[in-house]
Amino acid sequence: MDSEDDMHDAKSLEDFYSSDADDYCGSDDLDVGEYEFMEDADNDSDVIAAHRHQKNYTILTELDIQQRQEEDISRVSTVLSIPRDDAVILLRHCNWNINKVHDAWFDGEEVQKIVGLLEGPAVQYPDVRELTCVICFESHPHDKIYSAACGHPFCSTCWAGYISTSINDGPGCLSLRCPAPSCCAAVGQSMIDLLAPADDKKKYFQYLLRSYIEDNRITKWCPAPGCEYAVEFAGGGEGYDVSCLCSFHFCWNCTEEAHRPVDCDTVKKWIIKNSAESENMNWILANSKPCPKCKRPIEKNHGCMHMTCTPPCKFEFCWLCLGAWSDHGARTGGFYACNRYEAAKQDGAYDEAERRREMAKNLLKRYTHYYERWASNQSSRQKALADLQKMQTVHLLKLSYTQCEPESQLKFIIEAWKQIIECRRVLKWTYAYGYYLPDHEHAKKRFFEYVQGEAESGLEKLHQCAEKELHQFLRDDGVAPNCSFNDFRSKLAGLTSVTKNYFDNLVKALENGLSEVDPRGVCSQAESSKDGEDITTRSKTWSGRSNGTAPAGLTSQSDDSSQWSCNLCTFVNASSSSACQVCQTPR
Amino acid sequence: MANSNLPRRIIKETQRLLSEPAPGISASPSEDNMRYFNVMILGPTQSPYEGGVFKLELFLPEEYPMAAPKVRFLTKIYHPNIDKLGRICLDILKDKWSPALQIRTVLLSIQALLSAPNPDDPLSENIAKHWKTNEAEAVETAKEWTRLYASGA
Repeated sequence: MDSEDDMHDAKSLEDFYSSDADDYCGSDDLDVGEYEFMEDADNDSDVIAAHRHQKNYTILTELDIQQRQEEDISRVSTVLSIPRDDAVILLRHCNWNINKVHDAWFDGEEVQKIVGLLEGPAVQYPDVRELTCVICFESHPHDKIYSAACGHPFCSTCWAGYISTSINDGPGCLSLRCPAPSCCAAVGQSMIDLLAPADDKKKYFQYLLRSYIEDNRITKWCPAPGCEYAVEFAGGGEGYDVSCLCSFHFCWNCTEEAHRPVDCDTVKKWIIKNSAESENMNWILANSKPCPKCKRPIEKNHGCMHMTCTPPCKFEFCWLCLGAWSDHGARTGGFYACNRYEAAKQDGAYDEAERRREMAKNLLKRYTHYYERWASNQSSRQKALADLQKMQTVHLLKLSYTQCEPESQLKFIIEAWKQIIECRRVLKWTYAYGYYLPDHEHAKKRFFEYVQGEAESGLEKLHQCAEKELHQFLRDDGVAPNCSFNDFRSKLAGLTSVTKNYFDNLVKALENGLSEVDPRGVCSQAESSKDGEDITTRSKTWSGRSNGTAPAGLTSQSDDSSQWSCNLCTFVNASSSSACQVCQTPR
Repeated sequence: MANSNLPRRIIKETQRLLSEPAPGISASPSEDNMRYFNVMILGPTQSPYEGGVFKLELFLPEEYPMAAPKVRFLTKIYHPNIDKLGRICLDILKDKWSPALQIRTVLLSIQALLSAPNPDDPLSENIAKHWKTNEAEAVETAKEWTRLYASGA
């Protein structure tokens, strides 16, 4: 092992971890490396939770939104001494930004003109008993005639029709103007309240509420289908991940589902890639040749080289050289070997097309590899979500009964499932990450694949434990489980904690672009074929728990002879145990 | 059936269109559908369309007057705001429609559009280009088309 390089890498990796270890331990007085999360599991996870949940966003229910909107409206209305309607119109114009309203208002009368707030009526009602509505041409008594601030008179029926049409045309109804041609007087909410049919009023109100959320940059709707909560994002803090009350996690920035550690651009690329026809195109390119006559793509899935295109083309040609079949025969090397192809290939004539096909085939294979794993983690996560649901609604109660434990003491199971769901999500996105990791960065790629593999197997262990081993305690047939419930509790809680840690580190490392990996150092080692050993050491440092084979200085915890850390899951066991308490691997 | 529930407004408008027609414009409802009008507009004087008689169709949709009438030229016309299907680019037929406008005002606006083509807001890209690069020639073409297709024969 090249100690120079190793020490260098190990150092940076240690820095990376130790800063995290500090986070992990918080301000408690435990010796770093001596923490036994079995006893402190609750404590620690609380610290982490507190650290994580310095939320930089607020979830708003419909009621919250209404309240805030109402507060803003009254404030503007009070400060500017204007009717509520006018305040709404101004606020909407200024994207619900109170300061902007004030600025615009005191800047002159421009803004009033723009939004259609008139100083006084443009026309006066003639003083007659009945007025003719210029929409329906009917005469109406005065009490059936209404007008906006401008004074243009229309009957209530025509107003209702006009407002209703506008509301059903969409949110444009929020900036409704008087129906008189070229009159710009605004029609405010009180006119709507007075004249619109009830259904339309409801719609108008919804549009107004939506405008409050949609027309500014600090609030957005939760993108989950059917969810009616909105999120206010304050900025700052780490990342854009937002967790809605409806339990949907999404990225504030791009409103796709939460996708740490991958960035928004990569997610966008990946989603486009998944949905686009481009992969179909690649497949066609890789696996078909166009008919030389009609150019339709043909897949040759069996049979000889004598191709006959489907009607109406019916062109007969040789699959190898794409020449007409009529040119083939004894002269060209027999029907089953195309000499023309062989000769031309030697001349290099086919190389370009062949190479392209080959390349497309490889690219497609590569993409499929990542996509399949991305998708299978996705479905695994869906399944876990369903399992969690079932656990919460059915199993927990049963378990509480059979184990004589209050449900609050079974929370560790729910925690485990939540962790599984979160990890599946992270793992899923690591496949998009891997796909876009440049091929030429060998060191990063190999390190990435290694830690991803470890993450995957760690998660599998946790998933297995939460699914299969828990199952024994749920059986009705009275077969005694082969370990006590307490053991199971320790094991599952331990695995949850270990996995959480590992994934937290994974996310951070990937978000840093794996900057800890020194490409030069590893490349030189990869060339000197020491890579296996090298990577193992590297990852142990990275995961932060070591069994003593890693360079000294990183492994203070393993120096303590009263403990040993498991080779497989890195769990720190008491020295008295001969097998790992968590994964049962012998010491 | 279509005529049974005709709003009073349409009846009144129709009566007025027939009794006091706007100069250079005639509009009469079809016998079997009172919402469908056969329209004729005379080419305005001092315009390339002078001397032409242009046929249009006008239809009042169910939502009228809350929605704009649908109007289309039936006679071929060389005009930057009218395409080869006779569709017209006019703001009051779209977003600037107001229920306080009428058939009469719409037809007067179309007549005005013939007097003042607006190549800056074109419907027919080619004609507009022609208008902007060589207006004299474009006007000649419009006159030619008027003679060919709108001579009232």
